[in-house]
Amino acid sequence: MQVKENRQLTKDVYALKLVGDFPYHEVQAGQFVDIKIGAGLEFPLRRPLSIAHCDVKKQELTLIYRVVGGGTTWLRHRDVGDSVDVLGPLGTGFPLPKPQSSVLVVGGGVGIPPLYQLVREFDSSIQPQIILGFRDKFDCFWIEEFAEYGKVTVCTEDGSKGHKGLVTTALGAENKWDYLYSCGPKPMLRALKGHFEGTTIQGYVSLEERMACGIGACSGCTCLTSDGKGTKRVCKDGPVFPWEEVVL
Amino acid sequence: MSVDLSVNITGLTLKNPVMPASGCFGFGREYGEYYSLDRLGAVVVKATTLHPRLGNSTPRVTEVTGGMLNAIGLANPGLDQVLEEELPWLANQNVPVIVNVAGDTVEDYCIVVDQICQSGLAHAIELNVSCPNVERGGLAFGVDPQVLRRLVEAVRPYCTLPLIVKLSPNVSRIQDVAMAAAEGGADALSLINTLVGMQIDLRTRRPVLANRTGGLSGPAIKPVAVRMVYDVAKAVDLPLIGMGGIFTGKDALEFIMAGASAVAVGTANFTDPRACPRIIRELRELMAAEGIKNLEEIRGCAL
Repeated sequence: MQVKENRQLTKDVYALKLVGDFPYHEVQAGQFVDIKIGAGLEFPLRRPLSIAHCDVKKQELTLIYRVVGGGTTWLRHRDVGDSVDVLGPLGTGFPLPKPQSSVLVVGGGVGIPPLYQLVREFDSSIQPQIILGFRDKFDCFWIEEFAEYGKVTVCTEDGSKGHKGLVTTALGAENKWDYLYSCGPKPMLRALKGHFEGTTIQGYVSLEERMACGIGACSGCTCLTSDGKGTKRVCKDGPVFPWEEVVL
Repeated sequence: MSVDLSVNITGLTLKNPVMPASGCFGFGREYGEYYSLDRLGAVVVKATTLHPRLGNSTPRVTEVTGGMLNAIGLANPGLDQVLEEELPWLANQNVPVIVNVAGDTVEDYCIVVDQICQSGLAHAIELNVSCPNVERGGLAFGVDPQVLRRLVEAVRPYCTLPLIVKLSPNVSRIQDVAMAAAEGGADALSLINTLVGMQIDLRTRRPVLANRTGGLSGPAIKPVAVRMVYDVAKAVDLPLIGMGGIFTGKDALEFIMAGASAVAVGTANFTDPRACPRIIRELRELMAAEGIKNLEEIRGCAL
């Protein structure tokens, strides 16, 4: 695929827009692509990046990534027109909620991107409540984009924008939701699961794990099933799991 | 010019010398979605143990410059499921199947080898005595020549198929271990397994892998692997399957010149799921360009 845009969103978060040959119509919200880094063999492992937006009509794929090391630094330096080797779409995404249901969407940091593709796929009868958590006001991105699809509440750890504190502080005591969709750091997912313990809400979480093959062959990125007796592959069986299925 | 890529390893004829390395290919199903597995010389499946194993905690994999570390911990569904589901599926793929076997005890190895040979669903056994990532997952057998010889001797009567022993590079003299495997009754040797390594996270100030150490693989280890194949080819008269950082047809040819009859591809599968068929194609093109009609012409020419 070719780079159409590689735009800085925050100090270290970028949005990469790709065009070109890709099975756009196969994409399911919550799936990811695996990006080859560099032309040589310095970086043998691809980087899994969740699909933030797949525009089937315009034939564009948008990925959001945080620059954390050598691989993402290489990605940041891709210019318009550069080719990028993209494998995907990979993994199992989010099952969509039934029409008319009441839906809570919670994202933390760079866990937010796949939730954008998700809310876009919701039935028009659904007005999701969206909670987005960031470190501080400088870390925020795509708030307006999400606001087109639901009611957005922003939380920052230092209170510099929106609610002060973690995303769980923005949740009331009430539970009126049928579904919860979430992606972000594991402690956040655990806190959410704890918060809704004993309720009938159906939660789906997208997990992050270091991957090697990305297609389910190497057993590098497994997680434990809730009964403790088995494992699931984050790259193939996930990254999205019903939260009762896996150990968070 | 037409070139002949076929090779013969202890009576097993392979249409080409390229196979995936054990542990990098699962039981083949996932890569089967990218290409037809019958294009491969053989398929080498993930290490199979008597009982299912969940493996180590995560992170299990991490990248290093020119390579990766893994500490999967021999995760596998166990002998019963491998016999009931994985091998029957592979038997329909029209490709020779080499089953990698690991165990905690000599008895474990014997039981698994016996049942796999009796199933009629495999073409060869690869004895895993070199997994560096579990306390009793074989490495204990693979680093002491006398212990290894006794293990191979014990397994030999149960193994009615060609017996390949996969050697660990984590020894001071790999020739000694290779000779011990040969004395024990191995039909062929594969080498090298991964080199024990470590990466430390500067932020957490702790090793990245939950297992702390992991096996280093990828281009970073290729020169070490080529040297070890060369040393073993000089020391023992058994067919060798060479591996360690093979990413291209040129890499494969280098191992063959060092004395390998066949080669295995590991980490490259992760970089490019179609790596194996690409390497086969490159090898064919390279041989044609160099005027090499068959691999016997050049096998071990560097020795």
